[in-house]
Amino acid sequence: MKRTSKIYFLGLFVAFLSSCESFEDLQLDPNRPVQAEPSLILTQIETNAFSSVSLGAALASRQLIYTNSLSENQYYGWQRASFNDYNQLRQVSKLAEEADRKDNGSYRALALFFEANYLVELSQFFGDIPASEAVLGGSGNFSPIYDPQERVYLSVLEKLEEANSFLGPESGEILGDIIFNGDILKWKKLINSFHLRVLMSLSIKENNVSLAVADRFDAIYSNPTSYPIMTSNQDNGALVYVDIEGNRYPTFNSNELRTAYYMEKSFIDRLKSLNDPRLFVYADKETNGRNLDDFDPTAYSGLGGADALSTNTNLLLEGVGSPIDSRYHSDPVNQPSLLMGYAELEFIIAEAAIRNWISADPRVHYENGIRASMEFNGVSPKDTEAYLSQESVQLGDSDALERLLTEKHTAFFMNTGWEPFFDQRRTGIPEFSLSEEIINPSGIPKRWMYPQSEIQLNLSNLNEALDRQFGGDDDINGVPWILKP
Amino acid sequence: MEKAYRFCLKILVIFFLAGLAPWSAWAQSQLVGVVVDENSAPIPGVSILEKGTLSGTVTDLDGKFTLEVDAGATLVFSYIGYLTQEITVTEDRILDVQLFPAVTDLEGVVVTALGVEKNVKSLGYAVQEVDGERFKKAREPNLINSLTGQIAGLQVNNTTALFQDPQISLRGARPLIVIDGIPSTDNDYWKVNADDVESINVLKGATASALYGAIGRNGALMITTKRGGQGTQVEINSSTLFQPNYLVVPEVQTTYGNGDNGQYAYIDGSGRGTEGFGWIWGPRLNQPDPSTPSGFVEVPQYNSPRDPNTGELIPLPLISRGENNIRNFFQRGLISTNNINITSGTENGSFRISGSNVYQKGLVPNTELNNTSFSVSGGYKISDKLSTDASITYNRQYTDNFPETPYGPENYLYNLVLWTGVDVDVRDLRNYWVEGQEGFQQKHFNNTYYNNPYFQAYEYLRGYYKDNTFGQVKFDYQISPELTLTARTGLNNYALDRTDKEPKSYVKYGRVSRGNFYIYNSAQINMNTDLILNYSKRFGENWGLNANLGAANRFVRFRSESINTDGLAIPNFYNVANSEQPLSGSNSLTKEKINSAYFSADIDFMNAVFLTLTGRNDWVSTLPVANNSFFYPSVGLATTVSDFLTMPSFWDFAKVRMSWSQVADGRISSNPYSHIQAYSTGINWNGNPSLFFPGSLVNPTIRPETSDSYEIGLDNRFLGGRLGIDLTYFQIRDYNNLISVPVSLASGFSSRLENGAEFKRSGFELMFNALPIQTSELTWEVNLNFSTYKRILTESFDGTDRFGNLTVGERTDQLFSSSQFQRTPEGRLIIGNNGFPIRDPYQRSMGFSNPDFIFGVQNRVTYKGISLGFSFDGRAGGTIYSLTSEKMWWGGTHPGTVNQFRDDANEGQNTFVADGVVVTGGEVEYDDFGNILSDTRTYAENERPINYIAWNKTTLNADLTHYFDASFVKLRELSISYQLPQQLLQRTFLNTANVSLVGRNLMLWSNVENIDPDSGVDNLQTPSVRNIGFNINLGF
Repeated sequence: MKRTSKIYFLGLFVAFLSSCESFEDLQLDPNRPVQAEPSLILTQIETNAFSSVSLGAALASRQLIYTNSLSENQYYGWQRASFNDYNQLRQVSKLAEEADRKDNGSYRALALFFEANYLVELSQFFGDIPASEAVLGGSGNFSPIYDPQERVYLSVLEKLEEANSFLGPESGEILGDIIFNGDILKWKKLINSFHLRVLMSLSIKENNVSLAVADRFDAIYSNPTSYPIMTSNQDNGALVYVDIEGNRYPTFNSNELRTAYYMEKSFIDRLKSLNDPRLFVYADKETNGRNLDDFDPTAYSGLGGADALSTNTNLLLEGVGSPIDSRYHSDPVNQPSLLMGYAELEFIIAEAAIRNWISADPRVHYENGIRASMEFNGVSPKDTEAYLSQESVQLGDSDALERLLTEKHTAFFMNTGWEPFFDQRRTGIPEFSLSEEIINPSGIPKRWMYPQSEIQLNLSNLNEALDRQFGGDDDINGVPWILKP
Repeated sequence: MEKAYRFCLKILVIFFLAGLAPWSAWAQSQLVGVVVDENSAPIPGVSILEKGTLSGTVTDLDGKFTLEVDAGATLVFSYIGYLTQEITVTEDRILDVQLFPAVTDLEGVVVTALGVEKNVKSLGYAVQEVDGERFKKAREPNLINSLTGQIAGLQVNNTTALFQDPQISLRGARPLIVIDGIPSTDNDYWKVNADDVESINVLKGATASALYGAIGRNGALMITTKRGGQGTQVEINSSTLFQPNYLVVPEVQTTYGNGDNGQYAYIDGSGRGTEGFGWIWGPRLNQPDPSTPSGFVEVPQYNSPRDPNTGELIPLPLISRGENNIRNFFQRGLISTNNINITSGTENGSFRISGSNVYQKGLVPNTELNNTSFSVSGGYKISDKLSTDASITYNRQYTDNFPETPYGPENYLYNLVLWTGVDVDVRDLRNYWVEGQEGFQQKHFNNTYYNNPYFQAYEYLRGYYKDNTFGQVKFDYQISPELTLTARTGLNNYALDRTDKEPKSYVKYGRVSRGNFYIYNSAQINMNTDLILNYSKRFGENWGLNANLGAANRFVRFRSESINTDGLAIPNFYNVANSEQPLSGSNSLTKEKINSAYFSADIDFMNAVFLTLTGRNDWVSTLPVANNSFFYPSVGLATTVSDFLTMPSFWDFAKVRMSWSQVADGRISSNPYSHIQAYSTGINWNGNPSLFFPGSLVNPTIRPETSDSYEIGLDNRFLGGRLGIDLTYFQIRDYNNLISVPVSLASGFSSRLENGAEFKRSGFELMFNALPIQTSELTWEVNLNFSTYKRILTESFDGTDRFGNLTVGERTDQLFSSSQFQRTPEGRLIIGNNGFPIRDPYQRSMGFSNPDFIFGVQNRVTYKGISLGFSFDGRAGGTIYSLTSEKMWWGGTHPGTVNQFRDDANEGQNTFVADGVVVTGGEVEYDDFGNILSDTRTYAENERPINYIAWNKTTLNADLTHYFDASFVKLRELSISYQLPQQLLQRTFLNTANVSLVGRNLMLWSNVENIDPDSGVDNLQTPSVRNIGFNINLGF
C-alpha cells in the first residue's frame, strides 16, 4: 500500500470526525419558534375560551341524562376538578408578553379580558384560587398562594375595567382573530357584557360595600358610550364551527351523544307545557313517537335526571325518552359555541332591573332575551311571537325572577358551559330534582374539590385556603364566599 | 402467586441438585470418524492424541479424521474452549465424537465495548454470551423475543400481536443494541436475521459499555454477525412454525346476547332504543317459545329479511350462534423462515453472503409480515500490516396490513369478543358491505360503536414498508508490533413508509369515518465513526499493558412527514388528491451530534490480576453549549483468587471481580432540542395557524444526568468445568437526573425540567451452568439464570421527601389508581345510600409493575445424534392491570356475570346487594395523602338491593380491582433434533444434515385469567398462541 493512499484513508476519517454542523448550529430547533406573533397565540386562546359546549354541564343542569353508567355529573357525585385553565392562563400571559414586545394595546386588553375570564371560571369551580401569584413559574414562583375569592373578584373587575379602557381606535390592530375578525367595538361589547355577567354572579353579595355590584352594574349599563354592550346576536362572543378536521362542532359524530344521552324530564316537560318551539330543535322524537309528526309534542318525552339508571334504561328499551336533536351529533357545524351571548346579556339586564340595580323595564329585556335565544336556535320570528304572546310565558310581577331564570336556563342549552349550573346555584332557579339515587348525601354540591396535584405540589398554600374557607376540609358541600350572603 | 413461586423454587432445586450429582463416565473405540460440536457442526482442527504416546492427528475442515490405533488405546480429544474428552478405542472402526463447550469458557474471548475482544478472565464486570445457534431452530418473529429467559438480568416482555415490539429491560432499563461494533439506536428489533448472528454478548452494566458513552449507559446487547472461514460451505436453514392453537384466549359467556337490561330488538344499527346502546346485557338466548315458527323467542335482528309488503324486519330466533366466534374468525398463524448462505475463504480473507426471508401470517385474516435480508460480509488481509473488514445488510420489512392493537374499535378482540353477543355469528358477517351501499356502509349489527371484523381486516389496511441499510467498514493498520491504528465507520439508515387506509363507515373511537388516507414517512441516517490507537506490550514476565486512545463522532439526522386527508370524495380511492376537505399535515427534522475522546487501559499482572481504567469526554449538541462537555471514568478489577490460594480439588477456579463506573447523559428526550424553550404549533382554525407555549419550563443551565454504577461478582468453576456458578450484585445510583419536576399548575406550568432527584437501582444476578451427565453418548447440559431488580427513590427535589406521588424510600414502579372505591381498614367496600360504593378521592398504590425475580432454565440432553432441548422461564411477583377483565365485567361478556342477579335485573328487579358496609356513624380523618389519621366510623352491613347490571356498568364490578398477580412460568421451548450420521451422508453431496421438531410457547402457568402476563401489560391483548413446527438445516 502506498503512502499516499494511507494518508488519504486517514484524512477520510478525520473528515468524518469533524463532520457536519457546529454545535452552535445545532442549537436552533428547525421545528419550533422561540418567539411568536401575538396573533398566533390569540387564535389558540380563542379556540379554547370560546369553546363551551359541555355535556357535563347539561347533565348537572337537568337538561340531559346519561345512560351508559351512573354519571357523576347527573347524580351529583363529583369530587375533584382540574386546574387546566392555568394552562390557558399561561398562553394569556404569553399573549401579554408578546403584546408588550409589539407594543400593541389591543392584545394587552384582550389578555386582561381572557385572564379575567379564566380566573372567574376557576373561582366558580373551587372558591379561593391562586390568582395574584398565579402563572409566575417563569420567574420562579412554583407554589403560589391562594387568594380569597373576594380578592379574586375584585381584581377581575379591575381587569375588565382596564381592558375596556385599553381598547380603542388607536390601540392597535388585532390579527388572528377568529371571533370578531379584529372588530374592536365588538370586543368592547363582549368585555363589558361579560363584566355585567360577573357582577350579576355576585348578586348574593349585593350588600358588600367594597364590591358595590349594583353601582358598578349601573355605571356600565347607563353609559353605552364608554361601555358599549351587545345589542344583537351579531355581537355574540361566538366560536363558529367549520366543516374541517379539528374545527367541527365538538360533539359532531359523537357515538355517545347519539345513543347514551337523552333529554331530561323536567326540561322536556317545561318545553312541552309552554309550547316552546325550541322543543323541536333541542330534541328528537322518542322511539315510540317515531311515526308521529315532527311538531307533535306528544312524540317527545324526557327521563328523570334523579331516577335510577335502570329505570331510565328500561324506559328507553320500552321506546320512551327523546334523544337530543340529531344536529348536535350529525351536523359538523351545527351552531356556534358561546363564551357569552346576547340572549344571556338581556336576561342579566332584566334580572338587574328586577333587582332594582338599574332603572329599566325587565319585560323588554326578558323578551329580547327570548327572541335572541329563538333566533340563535333557528326558530322563526312567527313562532317566537306566538310563544311570547302566551300568558304563561309573560313576565308577571310575583314570579318574575323564577320565570326569567327559567327562560335563561332554557336558552343556555348546549351553548354557554356551566353558566346554567352556576345560576341555579346562585338563585335556586329552576329546581333540580333530587332523590335517593343521588350520590352526594347533601344533594347538589356547591363546588368541586381542588385537584390531587395541589396536595402533592402546593400543600401548605392549599391548606391555608381550606382553613380559611371550609374549616380545613376540602368538601364539595362547602359553601364558598360567593354564595354566602 | 403462591403456586407460581413454589413451582419456580422446585425447578430451581431440582436443577441445582442435578448439577451437583456426580455422574460417572462410560467408554468406547477406532478409526475413521468425525468430531462435531454441541450443535452437531463439524469442528476442524481438533487435536486427537493417543494417551501416553506421541501419535495423533487433527481433524480436517469437515471435522473428519483417520488414525491408526489399536483397540484398547485411549484417545484424548481436545479443542480450545471445549471440554477435553478421553475415549477408549474398541473394535469398532468408526468413531464419531461430539465435544461440548466448557460451561464457561475461561480462555475464550468475548466482544466488549467498541468491538474490542477480551479474555473472559480479565473482565471486571458481568457479561453473558448466547450462541447464535440457539436462535436458529425454534424461530421467533424477531431476535429479541428469542432472548427471553436466556440472560440473567434481562427481562423480555413478549407481546402477543403480530409485529409488535417486545419490551426489553436490562437491569431495569433498555440496553443499547450494537451490531458488529456499531451502535444501532433506532431500536429496530426486526432488522437482524437470526441466521446471520454468530453470537449475542450481553454487557450488563455501565462499566462494560462505558466506552459507548451515554448511549451505552444501560448496558449493551453486542450482536456479532457471522463471517466466513477457510474453504467453501453452503448452508440452508429452513423453519416452519405453525400456530395450531391458543395458549390463552379470553372466555366469554354464551348465555346472554346483545342488548341492555335483558332486552334486544334490532332497529337500524344505530345502537339506540331497543338495540341496547351497544351493551351485551341482553336477553337470555335459546329461550323456547312455542308460538314462533322456530320454537324459540324471535326478535328482529341485523340480518333479518324485510317483509316485502310491510317493509318491517321479520323476527329471527334469538339463539346462540356465535359460541366459536374467536376460532371461526381468527386463522392459524405461521412463521416461515428460510436462509441460504455461502461462505468461502483462504488464509488471507473470506466472505459470507446470506439471504433470508421470514414470512409471518397473522391470526387476523389478511394480515402478514415479510422480512427479507441480504447481507455480505468479509475481511481481507491487504498486506502484512493492513487488514480490513466490512459488512453490509439490506433489510426490508413490509406488510400491506398489520393489526392495530390498543383498546378501542380498531382492536379485533374489541369487535369480536368484548362487544359482540353470541347471538351474532361472525361467519354471517363475511360479506361486509350493506347491499347497494358498497364502499359506503359496512354491514354490522351496530354501526355506531363497532366494526365488522371482516370489514376491518379487508378494508382498513395498515401498510408498513421499511428499508434498512446498515453496515460498517473497518481498517486495522499495524504501525509497529505494539501499535495498531483502527479506523471504523458504521451506518444505520432507514426509510419508513406508513399508510393507513380508512374506509367510509369505519368506526373509530367516538366517531364514524368519512373515509381517510393517512401517510407517514420518516427516514433516519445514523453514522458512528471511531479512530482508535492501540498499544499492547508485555513488560517482563508478569506485567502486560493494553491501552487504547480513541476519538469518535456520532451524527443522527431524522426527518418525518405526515399528510392526512379529511374525508374521501370517492370511496376506496386512497390518494391525497381525493380529500373532501383541505389536507392536513406536519413535518419535522432533527439533527444531533456527539463528539468524543476516550481512553482505556488494561493492566495485567501474572495473568491473574487485571485492572481496567477507562475515561471518556463527550461534547453533545443536546445541551446548551455552555454545559455540553463532560468527562466520566470507570475502573474494573478482576482477580483469579484460585491462582493464589490453594483451593479444594473440586473447586477449579474462583474469580472475584468488581467495577465502578460513571456515565453521563446529555440527552433529555428523543427530541434533541428538548433543552430549548419554544412554542409548539397549535390548532389551525379555518386557515388560521396558532401557537401555544408548552407547560414544561426548561432551566437554561441544566447539566447532563449521571449514573454511578458498581458491581461485584464471583465466578466459580467446579468439577473440571462441569459446574459453573456466577453471582453478581449491582447497584446503580442515578443522580442529577434530567427530570420533569411536577409543579402546581397554578404556577402556569405543569413541570420544570431540572437536574434533580436520585434513584437507586439494584439487584442480584445468578448464572448457573452444569453438565450433570457427560459421556460420549449421553450428555445433559443445564443453564439456569435468576435475577432480581428494584428501583427506589432515594432523594427528591428541593429537599422535600416527595416526588410526584412517591415518597423517598419507595419503589418507583408502583401502579397508582385514582379510580378506586372507599374501603374500610379491613378492605371492605363502603357503600353509599344509593346502594353503590363511594369513590375514593385519593390516589392509591395498587402494586408494583416489576416482578420480584425473573428466571430461565435451558436444558439440552444429547444421546448419540439426537438432541432434546427444553426451557422454562418466568417471572414471580409483580402486578398487572387487566383491561380485558375490566371491560368484560363492564360490558356483560364475563362468564361470572351469568347468575340469578342478572336474570333478576333482566326482569327489572333489583336484587343484588353489594358486599360491603354502610357508615352508620363516627368520622374518619385523613392526612393530606389519604392515609387514615383517626377513624371512629361504625358500620352496618349494606342491605340495599340494586340492579345487578347497573352495578357492573357503574362500578366495573367493584368486587374486583382488576389488578392481578403477574407471576407466571412458561414452557418456552421444546425441541428434538436429529443429526444424520456421517456414514449416511458420505454417499450424498451433503456434509451435515439436521432435522428438528420444535415448539415454542407451549405451556403457561399463571394466576391471571384471559390474558398472557408475559406481555407485561394488557390493553385487550390478542390471544397468545402456541408455535409448533420443524426445522431443516443442511450444509454442503
